[in-house]
Amino acid sequence: MMAAERKKILLVPLDPVHDVGLKLIRRALKEAGHDTLLLPPGLEPNEVVSKLLEQNGVDFVLVSRTIGYRVGELLAEFVDLVEACGVRERVILVVGGMAVRPELAAELGFDAGFGSGTTPEEVVAYVEGRPFVAGKERGTGKKKVDLTAGYSYAYRNREIEKQLDLITQEILTWVGNKTSPAVERARLAFSALRGEIEPGEFREKYLGYCDDLVRDYYNHRRLPNRTRLLDREELDALERHQHWEGISTAVREGLPRPAIFIQYGTGCPIMDIMHIKTCEAWGADGVVHFDPSWGARTEGLLAGYLAHSEDGTVITLENLRLLKEYLWPGTLWQVRAHRGLNTPETVVLAGEVGADLTKINMVYASLGAGMDPARMTVDGVEAIRWAVHYGLSFDVVTNEELCGVPAYKAFAGMLIVAHLARKMGGRPILQPLFCRSPEVMIYGQMKDNYIDYNAAKILALQGIIDAPLWPGAPIGFLTHTEDRVQSAVTTALHACLARSLGVEAISIASSDEAYAGGPIVAASRIDTLRGTYEGFRFFGSAGIEPTSRAQEWAQELVAGITRVLKDVASSGSFVQALYRGLLGSPEDGAYPGRVGRGTLLRKEPGEDV
Amino acid sequence: MKYKSRILDALDVETFLLARDEGEAKGIMEGLLVELGFADHDIVFLEQVGCGVRVRARAYVHRPGVSYGWLAGGEQ
Repeated sequence: MMAAERKKILLVPLDPVHDVGLKLIRRALKEAGHDTLLLPPGLEPNEVVSKLLEQNGVDFVLVSRTIGYRVGELLAEFVDLVEACGVRERVILVVGGMAVRPELAAELGFDAGFGSGTTPEEVVAYVEGRPFVAGKERGTGKKKVDLTAGYSYAYRNREIEKQLDLITQEILTWVGNKTSPAVERARLAFSALRGEIEPGEFREKYLGYCDDLVRDYYNHRRLPNRTRLLDREELDALERHQHWEGISTAVREGLPRPAIFIQYGTGCPIMDIMHIKTCEAWGADGVVHFDPSWGARTEGLLAGYLAHSEDGTVITLENLRLLKEYLWPGTLWQVRAHRGLNTPETVVLAGEVGADLTKINMVYASLGAGMDPARMTVDGVEAIRWAVHYGLSFDVVTNEELCGVPAYKAFAGMLIVAHLARKMGGRPILQPLFCRSPEVMIYGQMKDNYIDYNAAKILALQGIIDAPLWPGAPIGFLTHTEDRVQSAVTTALHACLARSLGVEAISIASSDEAYAGGPIVAASRIDTLRGTYEGFRFFGSAGIEPTSRAQEWAQELVAGITRVLKDVASSGSFVQALYRGLLGSPEDGAYPGRVGRGTLLRKEPGEDV
Repeated sequence: MKYKSRILDALDVETFLLARDEGEAKGIMEGLLVELGFADHDIVFLEQVGCGVRVRARAYVHRPGVSYGWLAGGEQ
């Protein structure tokens, strides 16, 4: 397709042997519809000028040469000869090569100069007289993807499906007559956002379901420790700030999977925006919102543009709207809701603001994040209901493995939540831990390599159900050190393994993952995105071959999952199974949490269960 | 320092120091950062192998939530 005016271009490798760069550029120019003539390497300047004179109507001469000893004189001699022949005014002279800089090119008499790292697309843009914008040229792979598209959620393991049916039916029956402060707040927030309730009435009812920390804020403007409100001047300055022109290609460059997610949550939404823009530019497909842990243990959400001076960015409607405003349209956005007292309400805000994904898992929240199993089950089911309402797909994370829960138990819990979501019309994504977990440290499954057990997990899940997989979170967790080279390499290797196994998405850490002395910095995010890009580039469509142990372990995992699900189903109560440790016990390292214990209500408000 | 305001968050200084051990390298890097005018700093990584120590130090210019020089239209 030819959009610009056809140009005639003479390509000159003014070099004894090298012309590869010019061949790449010639291909791009030809594809863009221009006429090209590539001269052989090794010609003297006077011979090149003779060729130029033989050709009629040459618009551009593109000279390729690495700057080195006496090369400047050679290039200047070439420009002088072109001038002496009287054609200088008719042609545009361009020089390119390693160590060429625009100012040096101008000094030597060229119209333009391109150094190392120049893409053929940049040269085509220059020839066509239009500005080069990296994203527009190369960003075709940076389209928002639906991580659940194409998955049937059909079971390949009927026994597991049967057990999951029994367990999830019992859960839905059990939650039937129960509600919680979070469930009520979510419904109030939904009504308020639609203007179905007067602000005064909303506030009174809402605060009736909140902790003192939130009441103090609304009633007395008393801010929680280490938080402050961003002022109008800062927000106006952000609006004027334009340092994020140009979106580059995705790390996965043109391939459908895996989508790469980074996790942000510096505490300040303005700094988050800068980190997000940096990661988008360096190829991230999606971003995950991290909130402070105290937010998950507080009944009720705050409001306003809030900055927090420690890890995690406070979830407020205003903060989420601000972040959304600056997201690239092709970037997937996940707002986590999985592990606290505000789970259903967070899903409502995420849905209202336009997030693409959320995160829900009452098993992890109960066993690894301190939440009371009964409360979390009621809140989790309600959160799934809201996710379905807003069309949000969500991952079901298994980070209870980080407490020491073996993978087969964590996967049983994950499958229960995913099956429940399917029953309710949701689109869950399975998120197995893809790292060096406590289980493998104790039992030695990664003594020889880090491939087999991670592969076994993926193979096991793929053998059970046709569902999207999003290993995390982050991949390679507990293999990182404070050495940024090591950290970026281990992330890249795990990413390449995940890609080789055909997963839908991955969450990657920054190279600051193991550094606990301060906030993560943008340059460390680039380290791992760049490393992952290089890994993907290296492997291309080639795969990584696990040993036979991977299949053996996958079978063991499936057997373990089946056993646990049968135990939970026969116990007759999912919530009691959580308390009793069937999905992760104190011996494993998992303890049923206490946050929110005794707060369940009957559907008629005010009556304790 | 007029260029500081253009640093998004932090400046990392990474090098190989001739030092007896990691403790000495830590002291040298901290002294260097103070000498360069960075009060808020930390040592991210130290590893002694052979005759010296591989080290990465970090000077925070804009911690999250502070007033950002680059947002206030810091000097070009």
